[in-house]
Amino acid sequence: MIHFSDSLRVNLARALVATGAILYIPSNVMPVMTMTIVGKVEPLTVLGGVHELYDSGLPFIAGVVFLASFVVPFLKLASLAWILFLHGKPYLKHERSTVHRIVHKIGSWSMVDIFLLSVLAAVGQLGALAGVTAQPGAILFSLVLVSSLVAAEIYKPRLIWESDSLQNQ
Amino acid sequence: MIQTTPSGALPDASFQTLDEGTAGKWIQCPHCEAPCRERELRAGQELKCTRCGVTVLEYVGKRTLQPAMALSITGLFILLLANVSPILTFEVVGRMQSGFMITGVIELSQQGYLPIAILVFFCGILAPALYLAAVCYVSTACALGLRLPMLRFVYEAVHLLEPWNLIPVFAIAALVASVKLKMLGTVEWQIGARWVLGVSVMTLFCEQVFDRRLVEERLNSMKI
Repeated sequence: MIHFSDSLRVNLARALVATGAILYIPSNVMPVMTMTIVGKVEPLTVLGGVHELYDSGLPFIAGVVFLASFVVPFLKLASLAWILFLHGKPYLKHERSTVHRIVHKIGSWSMVDIFLLSVLAAVGQLGALAGVTAQPGAILFSLVLVSSLVAAEIYKPRLIWESDSLQNQ
Repeated sequence: MIQTTPSGALPDASFQTLDEGTAGKWIQCPHCEAPCRERELRAGQELKCTRCGVTVLEYVGKRTLQPAMALSITGLFILLLANVSPILTFEVVGRMQSGFMITGVIELSQQGYLPIAILVFFCGILAPALYLAAVCYVSTACALGLRLPMLRFVYEAVHLLEPWNLIPVFAIAALVASVKLKMLGTVEWQIGARWVLGVSVMTLFCEQVFDRRLVEERLNSMKI
């Protein structure tokens, strides 16, 4: 297995969180896909998709998608940034450890939008009647997800506790 | 609930003497990797890490790897079926299309979004397959005492693959997709949807019953 030193882990995680934070806004502003419905081409952002679900009388599913694809990536980036900001400081270690565990558990659910795009693109190839095409926003969106996922993997919870000795070296 | 000593940067002298009577092996906290002393547990007791508070050991009546073995073999078969049968069909004014798990990957790569296609393929098809295969390999070897090659490596792979195995997320995404498509035309679930759901359940259970500590004990006793 590949071995990373502790300081490299911290720096890599910081770089990845920064990447995610920079791409977060464009990934939510740019459309992730276009849907052609009976000849009408409609670009959809992540939030646009949620709005559409809500409007069609499905508040529960809209809520799930909203949480998974908008709130979770944001919370994940914010809490990772907080954990990394406090790296090497002697306080709030328990809180950081708990937050890291939660981030690790719920983090992958934001992939729901990428899979959604994949399933929609799979069956939505009926030309002008119903067509689904991916848009560049989807790449940015998946970059945000992957960078925060890898950041949480690289910054091991061990580093929250063992950083004091690391800084003294 | 019993608590153990975190040795670590500052070993506590009082704890050292306290531990002498029941001195067990040093084990690692699965979350923060702090060394903890193993204890004999009775029903209802659990061992918590004093550093981060996560449960290190739980009382399990009879620890065995056979459930993990059974679930992963079942999961592998169902995953195969999930990949070869259509998940849903979509129909608009007489034109019909059926979607397999791989269809979206192919379509996305044809639209020029290769990175997304690779991501979907990896998290939705490859990682679940590798994860289940790795769990199956390790748990079979440990449950039956077989000295299969590369056991350590495969055991590490289980750990690495776990966060990338996103088939339960795929199942939810398929559900949301069907709701969206219902606005445009007729959607019908196909047999593949059940298989996807089945694999999701198998993976979630596998993650629960795959006893890492027991695997490590077996690997050590087999001197691998």
